[in-house]
This record gives sequence, C-alpha cells and structure tokens, in this order.
Amino acid sequence: MRISYLVSVLCVGLAVFAAVPAQTPQLTPEQAVGGKLDAPVRIEVFSDFQCPACRGFFLDSIQKVLENYCSQDKVCVIYHEFPLKNHNLARLAARYSKAAQRLGRKQWLTVMGALYTNQAEWTWDGSVDAVISRTLSPQDFAELKKRLEDPSIDTAIDQEVALGEKRQVTSTPTFFLISGGKEERVVGGVPYVVLKGYIDRLIG
Amino acid sequence: MFRRILHWLCRLILAGIFLYTGYIKLRSPLQFAAVLAGYQLFPDALILPMADYFPWIEIALGVLLLVGWKIRYVAVAACALLASFLAVLSITYFRGIEANCGCFSFEDRISLLTLGRDTLILLPALFLALTGARAVKSEPAPAKTT
Repeated sequence: MRISYLVSVLCVGLAVFAAVPAQTPQLTPEQAVGGKLDAPVRIEVFSDFQCPACRGFFLDSIQKVLENYCSQDKVCVIYHEFPLKNHNLARLAARYSKAAQRLGRKQWLTVMGALYTNQAEWTWDGSVDAVISRTLSPQDFAELKKRLEDPSIDTAIDQEVALGEKRQVTSTPTFFLISGGKEERVVGGVPYVVLKGYIDRLIG
Repeated sequence: MFRRILHWLCRLILAGIFLYTGYIKLRSPLQFAAVLAGYQLFPDALILPMADYFPWIEIALGVLLLVGWKIRYVAVAACALLASFLAVLSITYFRGIEANCGCFSFEDRISLLTLGRDTLILLPALFLALTGARAVKSEPAPAKTT
C-alpha cells in the first residue's frame, strides 16, 4: 500500500514538474515565415545560415511543415537569426535574410531557400550577393540592396541573438515548440516524419 | 556490513540515475525522439512510441530500486536496459554517425568517453543482479545482549 502510494505520488509529481510553461516573447506577424501567430502549434527556430544542420532542418523538415501545416494555419513557424561567431559569413547571410524579411514573406522564403540550398557555394567563395541576385527579381533585388543599408537590420539581428541567449540557445538549430501554453526546447534538427507525428498528436 | 553498504550505494546510485534520466526525457519527448532518430537504427514508426514509453520504464526502475521490491529481478531488468542502450550507442558510434547520446543531457555527443561511462553504470546493476537481496539478508543478525 505504502509502495504504491509512493510510486503514484512520484509519477504525478514528475509529470507535473516536467511540463514547462511557455515563455512568450513579443512576436509580430512579420517574423512568421509561415502560418498565423495564433495557430495551435508554434515553432520558433534559432538558426544560422552557415550551419549544415540548420540547412538540413530547413530543407528536409521545415519546408514540408510550411507546405503541409502552415498553409492551413495549423502551425506557425518563426525564424530568428542566430549567426554563430565561428561562422565568418553567417552574419552577412543573416543581414540578407533580415532585409528580405522586410520585403515580404514570399521574398524572405525565397532568400532563405536560396541561402540554404546554395550553402556550399557561398560558404566556399563568399558569393552571398550573387546567390541572392539570381533568385530574386531585379526589382526585389534592388529593393533588398537598399534595405541592406538600413542600420536597423543589424539592430534587429542583435535583438534576436540576445533573445536566443536569454532562452539559453547555445547551438544551432535550436527550436522551441509551443502548444497549449507549454513549451519544449529542442536542440538540433528533427526528421520530418518525427516532427509530423508529434504535431499531429498535438493538434489532434 | 561492507557488502550491505555497497548494496545500498548501488541501489541509490542506479535509482538516482534512472530517475534523473527518465525525468529529462519525460520533460522533452520531442528532443528524445530526435535523439532516437539520430541513431538511424529504429524504424520511423517506432520512434515516437519509444520516446513516450522509455522514460516511464526508467522512472519505474528508479522507483523500484529505491523501494527495494524484488530487487534481483529489477536489477536484471536494469542490466538488460543498460546493456541494450550501450549496444545501440556502440553501434551508432562505430558506424561513424555523429549523434547525441541522450543519456544525461541532449547536448552530449556519443564518444568513447560516453561509452566508458555507460559501461561503468552497468557495474552496480550487475552487482545487484548477481547478489540480489542476499547482500542484505545473508548477514547474521547481531547477538542480543542483556
């Protein structure tokens, strides 16, 4: 009797203690790469364009989440720039991404896709500008170049890095999955099949 | 007396390890699922169910080791669990896959060090499985003095 009581108290205690309440940072719809902010599941990714694991996570998992869940507003995906100091071109790529974000969601996604798809190319020769120029329309590219001169781009990146540090992000990709007021921190990428199974369970 | 202390020490150490590792996995089921997927060993369909049930097995073992119920059987189960975990980690390591260990944290890469550490954890479980409750019960009761 005493043993079963102890076991049940421990199990309930652990389950209650294991649930981590979500820390909701100030988010704007412009930060969402897909879906609406009030979607039942929100994924906040801290990512570095020069990191191979971030590339894999974006191209293999996040793009499919955008296609299959964000388009139906079941999931909201937010991307935060987190250029690591040991990646010499990550900050430059993050500046292009941030400038593209200000042009609109479509342009932002195009630039993100181009940066991750051609990661090997621009990390080899530093040709970030050339990679972006061939993926955007001439008008969008000219507008993006203009936005790159805005000093608030750097401020915005610094704020996202500070947010990541505040949330104990030390490596990339690190993402937070928020649903039902609970938040789960995940370090590293997750294969789409696993992420899909988990999201399906959360949204019923 | 020494054997009795060692027996209790092994139980407490193992129970502490199982409760802690079970708790961190329970706290981050998706992270644990990602670690399991990272081993590239299990079918995709099994990853989420494994991530759900495995932490509860560890917690159950930790609680049973603490309360001392059927200690020998529990220790054998702990040995089996630790040995299978060690086998999975070794296979992943020797296949050259860079994956997280998922033992005490989720930022711990599999290395010879983590394999050595997990082998060490197996020792107290083996001791308990081999000696069981005998270590506590077999000692003669102290003579009564009047």
